[in-house]
Formats: sequence, C-alpha cells, structure tokens
Amino acid sequence: MNSDSPMLLLGIGTSGCAMARGVSRAFGENLRYAMVDTDATTGADGGPFTLLGGDRLSGRGTGGDIVAARLAAEDSIEIIDEHLEGVRLAVIVTALGGGTGGGATLETAKHLASRGIPSIVFATTPFAFEGEERQRNARGVMSMIEEAANATFFTPLDKLVGDEDNMETAMRRAIDTMATGITLFWRLVEKPGYIRIDTERLRHLIAAAGRGRFAAVTVQGPDRTSEAIDRLIRSEMLATASAPVNSILCGVLAGEDLRLSEIGRIADGIRSAFGERLTFDLATVNDEATFCGRLSVVVMLFEASLNSEAMPSGVMSSRKPKKAKSPLGIGPVGRGRFNNAEQTIWQGEDLDIPTFIRRNVNLDF
Amino acid sequence: MNNIYAALEIGTTRTVLAIGEAETGGRLKVTCHAEIPSTGVRKSQILDINQASQSIRAVLHEIQKKQEETGSKITVGNAFLLVSGQHIKTDPSFGSAQVEGFKVGAAEINEVIRSSRQQIVLPRDRELLDIIDQDYVLDNLGGISQPKGMSGRLLKLNTLHIHADRNRISDARTAADAAHLEIREPLFATTCAAEAVLEEHEKKNGVLVLDIGGGSTGYAVYCDGYVVSADVIGVGGDHVTNDIAHAFSTTNAQAEELKIREGSAILSDISGEGARIKVPGSNPLLETRTISRRALDTVVNARLKELFTIIRETLERDDLFHRLHSGVVITGAGSRLNNIDQLIRHELGTDVRLGRPIHVDGFENEANAESFAAIAGALLYAHRNYEEKSFLDGIFGRFFK
Repeated sequence: MNSDSPMLLLGIGTSGCAMARGVSRAFGENLRYAMVDTDATTGADGGPFTLLGGDRLSGRGTGGDIVAARLAAEDSIEIIDEHLEGVRLAVIVTALGGGTGGGATLETAKHLASRGIPSIVFATTPFAFEGEERQRNARGVMSMIEEAANATFFTPLDKLVGDEDNMETAMRRAIDTMATGITLFWRLVEKPGYIRIDTERLRHLIAAAGRGRFAAVTVQGPDRTSEAIDRLIRSEMLATASAPVNSILCGVLAGEDLRLSEIGRIADGIRSAFGERLTFDLATVNDEATFCGRLSVVVMLFEASLNSEAMPSGVMSSRKPKKAKSPLGIGPVGRGRFNNAEQTIWQGEDLDIPTFIRRNVNLDF
Repeated sequence: MNNIYAALEIGTTRTVLAIGEAETGGRLKVTCHAEIPSTGVRKSQILDINQASQSIRAVLHEIQKKQEETGSKITVGNAFLLVSGQHIKTDPSFGSAQVEGFKVGAAEINEVIRSSRQQIVLPRDRELLDIIDQDYVLDNLGGISQPKGMSGRLLKLNTLHIHADRNRISDARTAADAAHLEIREPLFATTCAAEAVLEEHEKKNGVLVLDIGGGSTGYAVYCDGYVVSADVIGVGGDHVTNDIAHAFSTTNAQAEELKIREGSAILSDISGEGARIKVPGSNPLLETRTISRRALDTVVNARLKELFTIIRETLERDDLFHRLHSGVVITGAGSRLNNIDQLIRHELGTDVRLGRPIHVDGFENEANAESFAAIAGALLYAHRNYEEKSFLDGIFGRFFK
C-alpha cells in the first residue's frame, strides 16, 4: 500500500469495504486505502480493516441503526485519525440504507471537514425492493452527508444491475460496477497524463461541488470513441435528475494509441449531450500497460459550478465563472449589507449577491 | 388566575414581544404586543449584542407603556424565544421498543418515545429546539398514528429533531439578559408559525408553510398530520431590499420603502405616468429622481423567483412536492410584499393563502396579522405545553416581578 499518496480511499460499512477491496484488487498495491465497519466479520476478508465502536457494539454491527453507527464512529474517531496522516483528499465509498454506511459516513465526513480535508462520497442507495424503511434511512442521511462532504455521488443500486439478475449476482455486480468506476477515477488522479488533474487540482475543483452523477465506460475497437459517447449518453447513472447540471468533469484514459482527434470528439460529444454552455473540465491518462488498445471515459456531472478559477497545469476549461458586475459598469459588486454576515451558498452561488447581477438580468432603467 | 406567557422575537428587521393569556374555555388570547425596528441583527443573527439588547429594552418599554394604558400591572420578566436563521437544521431519527405479548400497550408506547429521545445525540455546538414525533412503524407497517392495541413484535417511532447553533441562541440569551429579560425556552419560529395558522385538515392533506422573514425564510412541510420536513434558507426580505439598493443606488431605508410601497413580485405592465416612480433624495441637497417601475419589479421578481425555485427543487428532491394537496400558506413580514401570492402560485403551481393566526385570539383587527404568526405560535406552544401547576411553581415569581 502506498502510504505516501495524498489521496485516501475509505470503505465504510460492509458494502463500502467490499467496494474498497474491489478497487484495491483492480488498482494494485499502490492504492492507499482503509476499511471501517461495525461488523467484525467484514475484516475477515483481509486488508487494512478497523472495527468501529468495539466497546459499544462488540463487533456485531448496528442492526440498521444509524444513530448507533454515528456513536460508534464518534467513539472510534481517533482510530480513523490514524489513517489520515498526510491525506489531502479523502474518497469515501459506502452503501446507504443500513446503519453503518449512513451513520459512520456522516460522522467521518464531518470529522474530515473539521480537519480541513476535502471529501468525495460515492454511495449506493438501496434497491427499490428493499423496502421503504431502508429507502427512508438512506434519504434521511443523504442531505446530512451532502452538508458535510464536498462532493457526493449517490447511485441507486437499481441503476447498476439488470432486472434478470438474482439477488447475489445483483449485489456482486453492483459492487463490481462501482469499484470499476472508482478505479478509473483513481487512475485519472494518481496517474495523470498530458492534460492532468492531480490531487491538488481535484481538491480545488470540488471545493463546493455538491451533488453529482457519475458514470464510466470502457470500450475497444475501431469505433471506440462513438461507442463510448453513445453508452455514456444512454447511461442510467447519468440520467436526468431534478436539479440541472452546471458543470462536467470528464476523464479520458487510454494507452499510447490515444489520438487528439479522439479526445476532441469525446469532449464535443459529452458537451453537446449535457450542455454546450456548462463549465467543462477535461483530463487524460496515457497508460499503455493498463489500457493497451482500450479506451475508458469517466464522466462526472455536477449540479453546482466547479471551482474553475486559477487553472494550474494545463487543464482545459471552456468557461470561467463570471464576476458579478454592477449594471452601471462601476466594477465588481460584493455582498453589500451582508458583507460581514454568514454566507448563504446554494449550488456554488453566493445568494447574498443580488440575483439580477448573478443571473445577468437586464434592467430596463 | 389564568396562565400568562410572553414570547420574544429578535428578527432581522424588527423585535417583537407579545403577552398571551389563557381564556376561560381553553383558548389563548394575545392581550398585548409591541414591535420596534431591530438593530444589530443581520440575516437573523445577532451581530451586536449591545444594539440587540437596546432593541429588547425598547420593546419591553413599549409593552410596559401599553400595559399601563390598559391598567394592567403585569411586568414581563421572562419570555419564550423564537429562533430563526440558516444555522437551524433538522435530522431524522427513530426510537424502538420490543412489544411484550405482541400487543402494543401504553408501556411500549412510553418506551419507544423514551428510546427516540435517547437516540438523539447532538454535537456540543448544537442546541435542541424541538423533537417532532412523526409516525409509528410496527414491524414493517409504517404510517401508524396510534399503535395502541395493534399486534406486532417491534415498535418504532420516527422523529424529526430540530437543532440550532448553540452560540447563536446564547447571544440572544445574553442580549435579553442585559435587558433584564430571562429566556425560558428557544423555539423554532417556522413550526411555531405553522401551528398558529394551519387547520388540521391542511396538515393531514399536505401543506407547505413558508415563513418569510427579513433575514431568512423557513419552511415546514406537513403531511398526514405531522411535520415531514423543515429547513431554513438564508434569504429573506432583506435580500430584496439589498438588491433594490444595489440596482438603483439608494440607501437601505429608501430601498425598503420602495419595496413595500411600490415593489411587486410579478412584473407589472403599467405605462404612462405610473411607469416611473419618484425617489426623493436621501438628503435635502439631493434632488428627487425617477426610476423605472418595470426595472424595480424585475429586481424584486428575480430574487423571489429564485427563492421559490430553490424551495421547489428541494421539495422535489425530497419527493414532497407532489404531496402538497392543501397548497402553500405564507406567514412572516415578507408575506406582505405585493403580489407575492401570485408569484408563488405561478412558481409552485399550488393554492396560496395568507397565514393569519387562527388558534390564538387577539390579532383579529391587526391588518398584518400574518407577520405575527410565529409569535402567536410561540405563545400557543407555551399554552399547550405548560400546565398551570408548573407555571405557578416554575415561573410565577419570575414572570410577575
């Protein structure tokens, strides 16, 4: 395990640990990761495992109790701390609906925030057939996790598997799909290519990214670019949600055969599918050993605007956020009488700044 | 002697104090209320304790004067505190209890309520404002309002707990203390307003209460008779004022006057003389000028439309929007803005009504009764939750100094 990496993968709860193990298997020994759960049996499969709330729960799990999981995480926060030495960005993988996934993720994300470590949460939400209570457990904790974490990706399990799968296959397939996507995301950051997005850049970008959607595809063959775009556009995981998309982060991973024209076609295809005028950030990975002949594309859609100012190191961006201007053309407008008050931020926008300025509303004076 | 309670609201634009008295027959009547402009408060949070304290002193003095005029000898020594602002958060929780003999009795209900209270663990910087009991769940059967006598093994009670930044409440206590007013209990302004203005059938059918204050807007969604969701967005009427001041380079006082007197939440289509509005100079050396009514309405409309869009999107995300069969009820000083009901009707596509206190007497002749909904609700809370005995034992001496 690479303990020098500035990025930590943290699997929380039984399914979260399984996903973290999946990423570890796919990525190799250089992955810095840790797994925590309230159920001691989860640790039996090996890997860097920590039991949460040992004194409180005796390693028997929470029985679906989110509050017990929160308390267990609070009890064990010093143990979690031991994994955070030198970490600049934490990625949490988990499954919501039970106790530990929701409760311990919430407390961990809050703790990370208190230590100034940005966090990205990838979480699955229960299958529809699992019943209203588990759905409700998940829904209840999602908004709290959103407040504590910098970026969140909540993926319904129903979107990850087919209707014909049996229970065991469905669960395994869902975990594998998530692990594959996260592995590609990890490669994007840990092994950046010419157009790079490293940990520091990602930290900056996701500062207030909020809720997002996430999908990844891997294709090969002569029409691999068209196929990748087509599969992403049709992906259930990127399907329209209630809130509009404001920004896109796209990663293209391939071997040495990756051509500039392919990058351009992918960028154009994604932008035309999800919005030409959105903030668009692109990064590439060239790794012949891993991707020989194959092309992988990772797409993240965010409801908030990504923090795209102050671009370092050659990341392409098609639009920078506009500075608020006075309608009279007298320079930037601040927060006026709210200057010293607590900010109200919604989807990355400072709501204390007059709406007509932020929305560029034309006033007929 | 009837029970008497006082409630205090230290709002962004005004500080309000009201006294309520239990009437024969069980209803509560507001016997006296006063309001004065607030100072030292921004976005529902106290920024200057001395100024906020002076506002409290002033409103206490105003109440005293009104009491003397009516011959009353009541002096307010303590009050329930209304709390609003975006520091308020809600979290779901639940309690559980095993059912002895598989039939739910009083013991199980008491146990599940006790358990639900035990489950709530707040960080040290948060203070609990309220615990709202939602529905009971017996094994896998949810949505139960009264489980007594039902059969099952495991009884659960879903709750919603509302909490606030402890420091913000402490600041209010300090300001009140300096004005020799003791704070009894902090209460969430939005649910107080809702309790004062909603009919029971509205709570059952699904209703959204929007409490539009100066510095923030609280909302509470009721379905099946209980609160299913509540939150506060840090945008209120003050933001409209600030936007107007920015757009037309006016003072805040002028902008506030323009907002109340001339502003409209929907775009007006007035031509001719009415198309321009006179704005007197902010000092005698400045001449009166005119501004476009259409531009003023555009500024007001943009801000409020954005606020209601945020609320709609939030409710859609939480799968609650389609459950508002009884529409929207608006309260708070912001609900007085011209045509705001029409804009809400347009943006949310539901019926809208003003929320005047209906479960508390005393505001019948008040033109802007909806702006007193929260304070009426706080008094109603006190009336419903404090028995005469505890009142006499606990606060008699403090209330009547």
